[in-house]
Amino acid sequence: MGLVVPRGRGVDALGRALEEGWRAPASVEAQGLPGGQTPVYRVPAEAMVDPRALRAARRADRLTRMAVLAAWDAAAEGGLTAEGAGARVGVIFATALGPHATTFAFLDGILDYGQAGVSPTQFSHAVHNAAAAYIALALGIRGPALTFTQFHFGFHEAVRMAGAWLAGGRCEAVLVGAAEECGTVQASIAARRLAPPADGRIRPFAFGRPAGTVPGEGAAFFLLTPDGGASDAARIEVAFGAESAAGIDAETGLLILDAGGLSSEEAAYADAAQAGVPVASYAPVFGGTLGLSAFHASAAALTLRRERSFATPVPDHAPERALRVETGGRPVREAVCLRLDCAGRAAALRLRCSRGR
Amino acid sequence: MPEPSREEEIGQLCARLKELLISQLNIEGITPDRIQDDDALFGDGLGLDSLDAVEIVVLLQRNFGVEVKDMEKGREIFRTVRSLAEFVYEQQHAAP
Repeated sequence: MGLVVPRGRGVDALGRALEEGWRAPASVEAQGLPGGQTPVYRVPAEAMVDPRALRAARRADRLTRMAVLAAWDAAAEGGLTAEGAGARVGVIFATALGPHATTFAFLDGILDYGQAGVSPTQFSHAVHNAAAAYIALALGIRGPALTFTQFHFGFHEAVRMAGAWLAGGRCEAVLVGAAEECGTVQASIAARRLAPPADGRIRPFAFGRPAGTVPGEGAAFFLLTPDGGASDAARIEVAFGAESAAGIDAETGLLILDAGGLSSEEAAYADAAQAGVPVASYAPVFGGTLGLSAFHASAAALTLRRERSFATPVPDHAPERALRVETGGRPVREAVCLRLDCAGRAAALRLRCSRGR
Repeated sequence: MPEPSREEEIGQLCARLKELLISQLNIEGITPDRIQDDDALFGDGLGLDSLDAVEIVVLLQRNFGVEVKDMEKGREIFRTVRSLAEFVYEQQHAAP
């Protein structure tokens, strides 16, 4: 897998972030707000410097750069090189808000300079499919490239489609991932509508109480193959529906809730939290983002790979019957990431350790 | 205070254009002082391409209010930073 997260780039950066737990967010300007500042979790600029991976991405915007770097690392970890990708590898990219900072910059250009004065580069990069195209270009991939744009289940649909491509022999491997960007527009909207907590702590277990969120950003990619490839690979399955997260073993399982303070409807996670299996949410590490499912999948994969669990960073408000996760030696053989949308629809990503298959 | 000479104005335009080219075209790993006024913008010089040419047209319109209407002349106008600056200067000082 490959990652670009607010604590840096790569699997080691993810591991350090999960070990360390919560860290105070940075602040950015939010137009029209009292004080003019709002907390955010943004990817540091130094994490997005890589002349080799980004050699064909000079014109690419922030969202695309994060996606290319994460995909590049996932491909490298899976032994896929820019020379060897070719026509038998596919790309599926999921995003909720896409390159919205570029879209708004393009619209600003129309307002400020008229239709004849807009940037053609911004126009061509304001489409959600740009990131997938850049990934294919960077890695020499000539197989199918697809983008899912959905608020809640885009990454789940991407994983399901990748499974279909692999099962049908359409591809020998598929790079599947998601990315979300936190620009000034999103930060301002979050500041006005999602009430960032005064102490900067996202409380995933608030379950609909007015806890608020701190917007985040990043990219996470996985290289999926039919046989799992490396010995420390995990199996990933996706299921939709009310029972999608059912049947987790209480001794060796982990339930990760995609709750991040983004919506008052998160009260629906409360029942799942009391299902008798250990629960966690790492939204306080990644930030509140619609791409949380992909980031949680990466946390789940690392949990399986390292055979150790990571404590939930901010356990405030956890229901009494919820079983918390401690950092350390408890072996986890299966991790299920549960996502609920505003209407209560559910989807789950189930990752299993593939050792000893 | 005396009016700046043509050469002084073109020198100032060159400096401004170098900053704009780097920021607007996302040219990485180079600073304005590393670009010579007579460096080629395309090919072996800065390595710009046809997409950048379209972006430069927008850049000139947005920042200097000048339009490149005759693309036949564009090849000469877009040759170097100095030729761009001279074009901007001539347009700004053209009789209405």
